[in-house]
Amino acid sequence: MSLAMYYFLTISAVYILMSWALYLPYRLAHLHFLTVANMLISGYLAGYLVQSHGFPFALALVAGFTAGGLVGYIVSLFIDDAPTFTVVIVGFTFIYISRTAVENIKAVGATMGMFGLPMVAGTPNAHRLTILILVYALVVVVGFLIYRFEHSRVGRAASVMFVDKDLATSMGVDIKKLGRLVQTFSSLIAGGCGVIYGFIYRSYHLDFFTFHLVGIFMTVIFVGGYTTMWGSLLAAPALYGLSLILPPAVASWRIVIYGAILIAVLVLKPEGFITRRLAYTLETTLSRWRKR
Amino acid sequence: MQVFIAQVINGLSLGSIYVLLATGFNLLLLVAMIIHFAYPQVVVFSMYIAWVVLRYTGNSIVLAVLAAILSSVLLNVISAPLFQKIMKNREEVDINTTMVMSLGIGMIITDILSHGFNKGLPIAFPPKLVGETPILRVGLISLMGGQVASLAVGVIAVSGIFLLLYKTRPGRAFRAIAEDPNGARLVGIPLLRTGLESYALSGILGGLIAVLLAMLLGYSSPGLGEQVAHKVLAVSIIAGLGNLAGGLVVGLALGIMEALVQGYISGSWSNAIAFVVMLLVILFRPRGLFGIKL
Repeated sequence: MSLAMYYFLTISAVYILMSWALYLPYRLAHLHFLTVANMLISGYLAGYLVQSHGFPFALALVAGFTAGGLVGYIVSLFIDDAPTFTVVIVGFTFIYISRTAVENIKAVGATMGMFGLPMVAGTPNAHRLTILILVYALVVVVGFLIYRFEHSRVGRAASVMFVDKDLATSMGVDIKKLGRLVQTFSSLIAGGCGVIYGFIYRSYHLDFFTFHLVGIFMTVIFVGGYTTMWGSLLAAPALYGLSLILPPAVASWRIVIYGAILIAVLVLKPEGFITRRLAYTLETTLSRWRKR
Repeated sequence: MQVFIAQVINGLSLGSIYVLLATGFNLLLLVAMIIHFAYPQVVVFSMYIAWVVLRYTGNSIVLAVLAAILSSVLLNVISAPLFQKIMKNREEVDINTTMVMSLGIGMIITDILSHGFNKGLPIAFPPKLVGETPILRVGLISLMGGQVASLAVGVIAVSGIFLLLYKTRPGRAFRAIAEDPNGARLVGIPLLRTGLESYALSGILGGLIAVLLAMLLGYSSPGLGEQVAHKVLAVSIIAGLGNLAGGLVVGLALGIMEALVQGYISGSWSNAIAFVVMLLVILFRPRGLFGIKL
């Protein structure tokens, strides 16, 4: 497999996972940008454990997931039922704080970053294959969990909460508990993604975790469709692939292109390309076809 | 003591900019019902336009101010139909989607500034605008022209906006829409025109802020908009969204706190401390200190 194809497949998978990490809390109208800070914190933590303390990758990955979930849970205790704009600003503030912390901590390379992380498997090819299998296994597991969530009572409660919080409360939905659950799960996914993201490049640098990343994930979720999980699955490779097939001079303007696509979709197709109705139609067609 | 006084003066100047930004932001929120997260990015874009005009007109400050105001008004008014279309699509006020739209606009502005101006490098404003020597110097305390101007224009502009809102007919229309859009429509207030007026007014304010920020900082960079946007939204949330008086208090307090932290704590940790304080207030009072006025 060529290096370009490896990066396309792995980064697309990370974008899918991170978009799902944003999608899930957005089911409760929470734009949980804390996930990017989770990526940064868990990524640097894993890098530090592996490089400075000789931890095996698997253990560092577990530590990354745990750190993500833990930070997400603690923060969710305060913003479990907060308005969208408050959740947004808490996420942004965490990104600033964690970036400033990394800039000042020499043990994780400060502004220089961490380079030359060890390979996950013996050879470069084995390393790439392991990362690829791992990241897509994670896509399958997380996708399955979100699918089950959507088709459960809790998922339906989330849908009610998106439309009307007061209605959800009067129907007996514990909106605080639900908020904590999805925010923690979303941070947990993001923590794991942060670890994998760094090991794809075998390095960590603050430039990997900028506000552009927030913009990209947001574009993926809103262009793909924020009412179903399938939108991100299609939009992530399409949008990442777009920046690869464009001529370099145009591709350097990819953030402008993403921003323009995001605005165009919000104005012309407010629910994104894969709407809930479309997903439902596809699901029923598929189930009829299977029965036949 | 001199350090303290000097930093309080710095903080008041910076705080007055935050107050102006929060006022423009809240005006759009109250009347047009949008969370214009990219408003500070519009301001930074206007700073760049002012810089270009200063370069090509031999540092003509009058033309730079006019260009900054014009570009800010134009960007605001151009984005208005997009926000209106979103509202129309959803047949209801959906400030969350307007915030996403605004984040998209912010992405575009920041990237255009990164690629299209000065090769993405920070820009420096000429001493003619920034001021070469302090107006007043007593020991460690020195007052630069930009500090005095931002404080003075800040006080005048905020007083003007409060007067406009509470003592004039258009101001009453603005407040009526903020209070009850359907009721305002019933009594004959044109919602669309008044909404557009609020875009234009916040645009004028944005242009002024751009010039003041240029005078105060003496430089600008593509990332400045994101950083300021974050602080302005934080000021508005801590004050209580839509709360103009609260924005005044919190904006000044944040400016003073930032200046004091920078004065007493060395290194780049100072910025993080201001953010940590902001974060703690938001976490413990997610609906603001003075109450949401929406």
